[in-house]
Amino acid sequence: MKVSPGFFKGISWRPVASYFFLVLIFSALLQLYAYKKLSFAAALLIVLPLSTLLAWLLYRRVIEPLREITAAAGSIARGDLSRELHIYSEDEIGELARSINEMAGQLRRTIELVSGERNRMRAILDSMADGVIALDSEGRVLLVNPVIEEVFGIRGEACQGKGLLEVVRNYDVERVLQRALKTQEPVVQEVKVVGAGPEARVFRIHATPLKEAGRESGGVVAVMRDITERKKLEQMRTEFVANVSHELRTPLTSLKGFLETLLEGAADDPDTCRRFLKIMQEETERLTRLIDDLLHLSKIEERRVVHRWQPVDIHAVIHRVVSLFHPQAAEKGVALEAVVPADLPGVYGDPDLLAQVLINLVDNAVKYTPAGGRVTVRAREEKGGLRVEVEDTGIGIPPESLPRVFERFYRVDKARSRELGGVGIGLAIVKHIVRAHGGKIGVESTPGRGSLFYFTLPADEGTSE
Amino acid sequence: MSPRYAFEKSLAELQQDILRMASLVEQAIYEAVESLMKQDVTGAAQVIMGDEMIDNLYLEIEDKCVKLIATQQPMARDLRVAITGIKICLSLERMADHAVDIARATMCLSGQPFTVKCLEYIPQMGRLARQMVKEGLDAYVNSDVQKAREMCALDDEVDYLFARMFRELVGNMEEDPRTVVQAAYLLYVSRYLERIADHATNIGEAVIYLVTGERRELN
Repeated sequence: MKVSPGFFKGISWRPVASYFFLVLIFSALLQLYAYKKLSFAAALLIVLPLSTLLAWLLYRRVIEPLREITAAAGSIARGDLSRELHIYSEDEIGELARSINEMAGQLRRTIELVSGERNRMRAILDSMADGVIALDSEGRVLLVNPVIEEVFGIRGEACQGKGLLEVVRNYDVERVLQRALKTQEPVVQEVKVVGAGPEARVFRIHATPLKEAGRESGGVVAVMRDITERKKLEQMRTEFVANVSHELRTPLTSLKGFLETLLEGAADDPDTCRRFLKIMQEETERLTRLIDDLLHLSKIEERRVVHRWQPVDIHAVIHRVVSLFHPQAAEKGVALEAVVPADLPGVYGDPDLLAQVLINLVDNAVKYTPAGGRVTVRAREEKGGLRVEVEDTGIGIPPESLPRVFERFYRVDKARSRELGGVGIGLAIVKHIVRAHGGKIGVESTPGRGSLFYFTLPADEGTSE
Repeated sequence: MSPRYAFEKSLAELQQDILRMASLVEQAIYEAVESLMKQDVTGAAQVIMGDEMIDNLYLEIEDKCVKLIATQQPMARDLRVAITGIKICLSLERMADHAVDIARATMCLSGQPFTVKCLEYIPQMGRLARQMVKEGLDAYVNSDVQKAREMCALDDEVDYLFARMFRELVGNMEEDPRTVVQAAYLLYVSRYLERIADHATNIGEAVIYLVTGERRELN
């Protein structure tokens, strides 16, 4: 038999030599005893301490370390990787202890790596603005992220391992995910979800099958993006186009009607002709105003308006606008006054645009205030700037409409607004101008009692000192 | 594999089917109320058309329950699971029918702006009814008697809203005879919602029967 040199290298010679030596002594004693050179008692006297020594050595060198290793392996199996084994000797048992220490270390590092990875993934999922649901191949929930928890009013830990329907309770969502699971093809669909909130929300679901290595079919991961706002915008755009067309058509229809009547002979009667032409002029003006407003709004929205920035005397602007409306207010029987202190901080901006803001606000206030009412324009210094208020005692705005009054073409009461010649973009223009000046705009209102529109303008650093 | 594997599997499937049906019913109630409030005739038409699917699902689930009883011959609780399945999906089917009734009312009211005053009760009742369906099914899935009882307590709120709505609608009719048609339809609608809530309490009773074997009147 050929023995490779490595075989000898691997053996630690010390214990082998000592055991070899002990066995030699025992054999010698056995020989002596067999040839009656030694009495039984004498042999016992020699063997007993030697055996004790041997047993003790065996215990210390082999059994005790092994027991310790067994205990350590047990605690590793239970998941406690912090235990470090003491290495007593440089023999095989020492080697074993070292290997186990190494193994525990390696495991510890791997687990740290994996849990770090998991925490990172969890953090990413938790911070996503989209909802994420993952299902296993049986259609059971693996994980959901906080967005989903919020939308469906559920708790993430409670849904693990449950059926999808138990968690989301929405037929369409379930169907999309089941289809992706069955076909193993990605599915994209829009669904409406009536979840924990009062309003239904629209989501676009991207359900993608998870391809796991070595398995025919994996689970599904679905990303749900809330497109409610986008849908609303689309709706607003559609409404915008419809509104513009309608607003353009009304004066045009009227123009066309009068034109036709004139052509059919009404032009011969000078009185009628004059009256019709007067109406046509009014309609044309309305049309021009509408188109001007639209162009103006789109310019401001695109920030293409060239602001003629200069120090503005807001005192003068308010008085100019108020005096502009005095005749209209007087005719309607509405009291219009301005309460403006003389020592207002200077502001910096475009006087024409700021006048436009006030014109729109005062115009609305006068329009929606019945006879006997009162419209007050106030300005006062505020921390870091100026606050201008236009308060009326008019019909007010219902609370549900308050957040929307600054949207273009939003009208609280379409019929009434049109009757008063409004097109629903005045406040949108106001909002954009105030924002362009770095200010804020807002409204408070009680239906039947009146409304208060206010805006702020930051103080001009140069003149306020 | 346990010898009852097939049975357990079909029970789980049955539960999923019932949940599926419940989610459809919940949606139908929501859409019915929503389209009524917005006077959205297309939405109402969708609710009416969607009912066929719910009816089919109902027949399917009932067949499954019957098959389960016939082939597996379950005893005690397992038998009650199958029986409760039939009861619950019957209640759900009735609810869906009421959602259709509401949608029909929407169709009849189309084009007439609401002039009566107590409209805000309808969405409130709708919300409560949907919550009851959802919680009733939660109680069923988790065999949660406590939850079933809590859910049934919501019925009192629905009844209260119904009573108030009734009083106010009658008041409306007396004040202004032009609102009579509208108010009459809305009276029906509130009645349907109240019936939906009653069917939800039936689900709660079925859950209690499933878990304890006792019959308890919770309405």
